Amino acid sequence: MSKEYLGEFEELVLTMAGILQEEAYGNAIVTEIKERVGREVNLSAVHVTLYRLEDKGFVKSRMGGATHERGGRRKRIFTVTNAGLAMLRTMKEARMDLWKLIPQLKIVGI
Amino acid sequence: MKATPPTWVRQLLQKVCPPHLYESIEGDLLEQFEFDLTAVGETKARRRFTWNTLRFLRPGILLRNRFTNNLINTMMVGNYFKVAARNIQKRKFYSFINAFGLSIGLAFCMLIALYIQDERKFDQFHTNKNQIYRMEAKSYDTWQQKQGDPYEKWAWLQSGLGPVLKDELPEVERATRFNDGNRAIFRYGEKVFTERLTYVDKDFFTMFSFQLLKGNADKIFIDKAEIVLTPAIAQKYFGEEDPIGKTIEIDNNGVKSFTVTGIIEPPPAQSSLSYVLLLPQENRNNYQHQMENWGNYGTPTFVQLRADADLVVFKSNLEKIVEKYVGAVLEQARKVSPIPIPADVKMLEYEFTPLPDIHLKKEISWEKVSDPQYSIILGGIALLIMLIACINYISLSLTTSASRRIEVGVRKVVGAQRNQLVYQFSFESLILAVISLVIGFALVILFLPSFNAFTNKSIELTLLNGVQLFSVGLALTLVTGLLAGSYPSLFLSRFKPAAVLKGGFTSRLQAGFTKPLVVLQFALSAFLIICSVMMYRQMQFITTKDLGYNKDQVLVIPTQAGWTEASDRVVEQFRTRAQQEPMIVSVTGTSSSFNQGYSRYGFKIKEEMKSAYVYAADPYYIPTLGITLLEGRNFDANIPADSNAVIVNESLVRDMKWTDPLNEYYNWREDSAGMGARVIGVVKDYHYLSLEQNFEPMFLSMDKRNVGYLTTLMVKVTAGDVTAGLDRVKAIWKELFPDKPFDYTFLDEDVAKQYSSYQRWMSIMGLATGFAILISCLGLFGLAGINAVNRTKEIGIRKVMGADMRTIFYLLNKQFVILAVIAFVLAAPLSWWFITKWYMKDFTFKVPVSWDLFALSMGVGLLLALATVSYHAIKVARVNPADTLKYE
Repeated sequence: MSKEYLGEFEELVLTMAGILQEEAYGNAIVTEIKERVGREVNLSAVHVTLYRLEDKGFVKSRMGGATHERGGRRKRIFTVTNAGLAMLRTMKEARMDLWKLIPQLKIVGI
Repeated sequence: MKATPPTWVRQLLQKVCPPHLYESIEGDLLEQFEFDLTAVGETKARRRFTWNTLRFLRPGILLRNRFTNNLINTMMVGNYFKVAARNIQKRKFYSFINAFGLSIGLAFCMLIALYIQDERKFDQFHTNKNQIYRMEAKSYDTWQQKQGDPYEKWAWLQSGLGPVLKDELPEVERATRFNDGNRAIFRYGEKVFTERLTYVDKDFFTMFSFQLLKGNADKIFIDKAEIVLTPAIAQKYFGEEDPIGKTIEIDNNGVKSFTVTGIIEPPPAQSSLSYVLLLPQENRNNYQHQMENWGNYGTPTFVQLRADADLVVFKSNLEKIVEKYVGAVLEQARKVSPIPIPADVKMLEYEFTPLPDIHLKKEISWEKVSDPQYSIILGGIALLIMLIACINYISLSLTTSASRRIEVGVRKVVGAQRNQLVYQFSFESLILAVISLVIGFALVILFLPSFNAFTNKSIELTLLNGVQLFSVGLALTLVTGLLAGSYPSLFLSRFKPAAVLKGGFTSRLQAGFTKPLVVLQFALSAFLIICSVMMYRQMQFITTKDLGYNKDQVLVIPTQAGWTEASDRVVEQFRTRAQQEPMIVSVTGTSSSFNQGYSRYGFKIKEEMKSAYVYAADPYYIPTLGITLLEGRNFDANIPADSNAVIVNESLVRDMKWTDPLNEYYNWREDSAGMGARVIGVVKDYHYLSLEQNFEPMFLSMDKRNVGYLTTLMVKVTAGDVTAGLDRVKAIWKELFPDKPFDYTFLDEDVAKQYSSYQRWMSIMGLATGFAILISCLGLFGLAGINAVNRTKEIGIRKVMGADMRTIFYLLNKQFVILAVIAFVLAAPLSWWFITKWYMKDFTFKVPVSWDLFALSMGVGLLLALATVSYHAIKVARVNPADTLKYE
């Protein structure tokens, strides 16, 4: 798995899918990103990223139930796979390891 | 009413979005729209919807379907490559047969493509090509009408027509005449040569796109004593000096000086007009007379019409020109015509052909005119060879398929789908085809010079047409690679994995479908063999046929003294001088040697239209050429009356229905006072014309004034050392006529030149046949090898049971012999039809198409096939049965 690599946006989307669980579909992820990170993202970009993650095997998708406000269209619900979770964890740990190597800044003075 | 997003946007999305993604994407978009509706209002929401949807039109979405497919394919391509390379390496010999055959086929196709491209490029380089037309005459034939068509067409017109068209018709912007072919002696200081003359008008330089390297197109040919040279001619006479302004002497019925005022580029190979130097029209012999005589057709004429000219108006204006200038002449011709002419028939019409079309307009004779049929035949030959090579590929892949069986089974078990296997095998054949393409391209470069020689072209491989050619080759490669690969790949991919892997197959390879392929392949080869043997025989026949005269060791030398008595004196002088020479057997003079032009006169004798070929001769003509005199006597220099006498050939006697020709007179000058020329001798028919033509009435005459002067000297030298004889003749010539160039040809070469195009076709056919046989024999060799391997065990058992070498040899070769015989039976009628319909129809004198031709060709073919397959048969038959059977 060491060859695989996630881009920053991919990681963000994957994390959101993990957070939203059963409600992880395109629009929900866009809203979630806006609310939690304060970042405006485009729906199509999220879709493409999700499909790419699916190709890589980090999420699985299935068609979920329809709701009224979607004009009766069903949602595509994405679930994070074990591989996806492992990937998220590895990335987080790798970042933490690196973070620890930065000399801690001390607040001097006053 | 509830607000909805724009319909067209949704339709667009539906159209371009992969179906399995469509529903959820649209759902998300709609959800966003509903949200926006409440947040920002309808107008903005609609705008955002559109924008959001358009953002989905990105490769990551649109190409999603194909993208995933590609992923799998590219994953496998590496493997296909590996397997293909291993297969090619493992069976080097079969790969070689396939690649060799395909590359020769491809090379042939590319050469033919070059040929066809060259044919189509003719005269395309002129900027004004779409406005330039060649004028043509369509004339009612009152003399010798062809079957079915009472009209004759030619591109020679009256000398006056060009200037008249330019002056009188508003459509004509420019016009030039183009008289080409006469030769004259050129002198500059010590340098004396004969050159070909081309007479044109001033407009020539502005109409056509031949580039003027030096000089000013607007000022050239204002003076009549000007000349424009090509660089090669300028170099020949003036060396490195600047030719402009130099004067050169031309001896063309009197010596005149001409000033060089321009240098023009030589015409490119794809030009219908060719020249080495240009002179103003007015310098032609008898120019004034020609201008006034509207009954004389001898001047090719080109016009450039204005861009807005209406061709229909032009055509009707041409009729007025005919009426105005040629009307009287035609009326007269109508009156004296030997056959009645219907009143509504037009005696003469002018027609015209666009410049780019004249090269392939074969019905009108022109120096470089070509028959579009050639392209078709050459293309056909190339396709035949290609087909044979493809058959090799197919039959070899089928017969070697057993060794791939396990591979197919394993691939299928692991999850390959049938179409993936089809891809794989097609990919393999493509790899082989691409390798062949590279080799084929190298072959094209290698063979182009000889191909040029065969087809009488000068095609060069430039970067531009090289790239074009390579793309043509690539397209062909893809097509043939897929075509040749398609059947084997379908066949191979059909194996059922369970059946294959269980091992239920016998070790025998199935080769059922290959038999018809082999027959087809051999039939094609046999067709080519028979055709080329036939052509070879006809050529043999022509070159060895007794022509009725002796053409060996005869030098033909133009007297260079023009159509005057001076020519006669040259012959006389030479003969007197040559009498002391032991190397010179005899010397004679004539008006024209064979295949160097002829005169044919038409006249009325007793109200009947007659025609005959005429050669001016002297008393030495018949002995020098060894012509057989059947009756009467030769001309005698001591009998003055002989200058008015004729010696006729047998055909003329037959034509006149004479029983006692020596008591007849031949009134060919339509002499109303006298009886005409006395017949003093009859010669046996000899072939003064090409063997394409039958014997025609002909007579020899010494009547210089009416028949012509002895403008050609014929010198027979002793057999043996011809080169020494030639040197001697040249030395005498230089001694007697130091101011005249010594141009010579050999009579037998002149005669052979008549058949050069047949010779060329024979070479092409021979070459194609050679390659076809080679390729199909290689294929057969491969097949025989597989066949022998298949039956190794069977043969071992047979040997143990007591079969001898001969029986086994017979057993193995029997089927191939049968196949070859079937192929010949199929090919024989086809080739007979082709040969008689296309090739032999041009000859009046031909070798009979007899059964032994077919027997011979078949014998050769069978022998080749047998030799090819025998190698394996002998090898297998000699193997010790213990070796083959011990593993069982």
